[in-house]
Amino acid sequence: MNEEHPSSERHGERDSQLSAMFDGELTAAECELLARRLVRDEALRGQWSRYALIGAALRAERGVVLHDRVAWRVQSAIAQEPTYGDSASADANVSASRPAVVAQSSGALTRENRWMRFARPAFGAGIAAGVAALSILWLRGQPGGESQVLAAAEAPVQHIVLAPEAAAPRVAMTTPQNPRETAGTSGDYSTPPAGSTNSLAPPARLANYVVAHSEYSGPLSRRLALSGLVAGEPGNDAMADDAIPPADQKTDHPKNDHPKNEKRVATDAP
Amino acid sequence: MTVEESDLVLVKRVQRGDKSAFDLLVRKYQHKVVKLVLRYVRNPAEAEDIAQEAFIKAYRALPQFRGDSAFYTWMYRIAINTAKNSLASRDRSPIAYDLDLTDPEESHSVQTKLQDPDTPEGMALTEEIRGIVNSAIEGLPEELKTAIVLRELDGLSYEEIAAAMECPVGTVRSRIFRAREAIDKRLREVFEGGLGRTEEMV
Repeated sequence: MNEEHPSSERHGERDSQLSAMFDGELTAAECELLARRLVRDEALRGQWSRYALIGAALRAERGVVLHDRVAWRVQSAIAQEPTYGDSASADANVSASRPAVVAQSSGALTRENRWMRFARPAFGAGIAAGVAALSILWLRGQPGGESQVLAAAEAPVQHIVLAPEAAAPRVAMTTPQNPRETAGTSGDYSTPPAGSTNSLAPPARLANYVVAHSEYSGPLSRRLALSGLVAGEPGNDAMADDAIPPADQKTDHPKNDHPKNEKRVATDAP
Repeated sequence: MTVEESDLVLVKRVQRGDKSAFDLLVRKYQHKVVKLVLRYVRNPAEAEDIAQEAFIKAYRALPQFRGDSAFYTWMYRIAINTAKNSLASRDRSPIAYDLDLTDPEESHSVQTKLQDPDTPEGMALTEEIRGIVNSAIEGLPEELKTAIVLRELDGLSYEEIAAAMECPVGTVRSRIFRAREAIDKRLREVFEGGLGRTEEMV
């Protein structure tokens, strides 16, 4: 009897802890210790099950059959599943279709993708910068290269414009402010230079354009557009047919209220 | 420590590679989950199948569980989604109340659905367990009975029970444990070998 007493007392304390753990009333450290014990003590696990059963019976859960069939079947199914944590890598080699493996491989892919996401633009920018540097060096090496470099830097911007009448895209060139630069560069482009007779707009179409433009622009920009057209330089008058903006294109963006921007709209008129 | 934190200890053990810790969570919540699923399906056997599927899904998703919500709350959502998906895949409404019961054939079909088609042995066992538990509860001293009822039926914490019963928390813990022990003893007397597993029970 004296030999049994400490043992039963110990069991009593352990079972009391189990009851408290079931109710979530045990300290974290005790809970962790008891969880370790539960792993290897089937009798204790059976007791845990019965505590759950007692609760379900007391609550008289209608339709619930009081047995452990679900737990038993889940345990059998889980036995086929991978083990997580430290032993996950060992299980991962067994089957590639298991969740832990998927999680691991997807994690690796994510890291790779993240690296590539930043690396690709950096590589692209590096290549572009290299090509630009080589071009500048090569141009400087050519006879009269310095002036070509300057001309290239100041070259007019090309814009592709979709005219409403024409389905095919056409290329219009921004009219340079300095006619001398036009003379030096116009021959390098396949499109006709500004100021050529082909690019002059017929008065009727010009009037149509101004009317269409005024529908969408503010009074100030409208006035500036008109004054730019009427009193502008000959080069600025060269408004190609191609440059007439589509009727649905709005030009009342705040940017275009600025005189300089307005002039750009009127001349290279997207 | 709360039930949520206690469950989280087991969840973390599963995440560290202890599968048997998940078994403890299943054993603890299987009846609640089956009861929950029974809101969507009438057949207890089907509810058990869905509950089983929900627990397996939960196990597979457990590496992503961070403990932001309680394990049971998380499990609850998985079970409901599994039940809904199961119903959707079979293309039928959760409860067939909208059926025309004037049709004798259809009425018979509804009756069949609403009746419990689970095995008679399982139902008999369930009734027997309920009977044992209830009679064991009736035989308990008043303070033990009150403590276990406040815990299991009202879901009060030990601290709340201590306040209600005007006694220390340690006393509440002891009373609840003693109540469980007394009921468990009766169960073990009736079912030789305990009630750990279905095979042992039947």
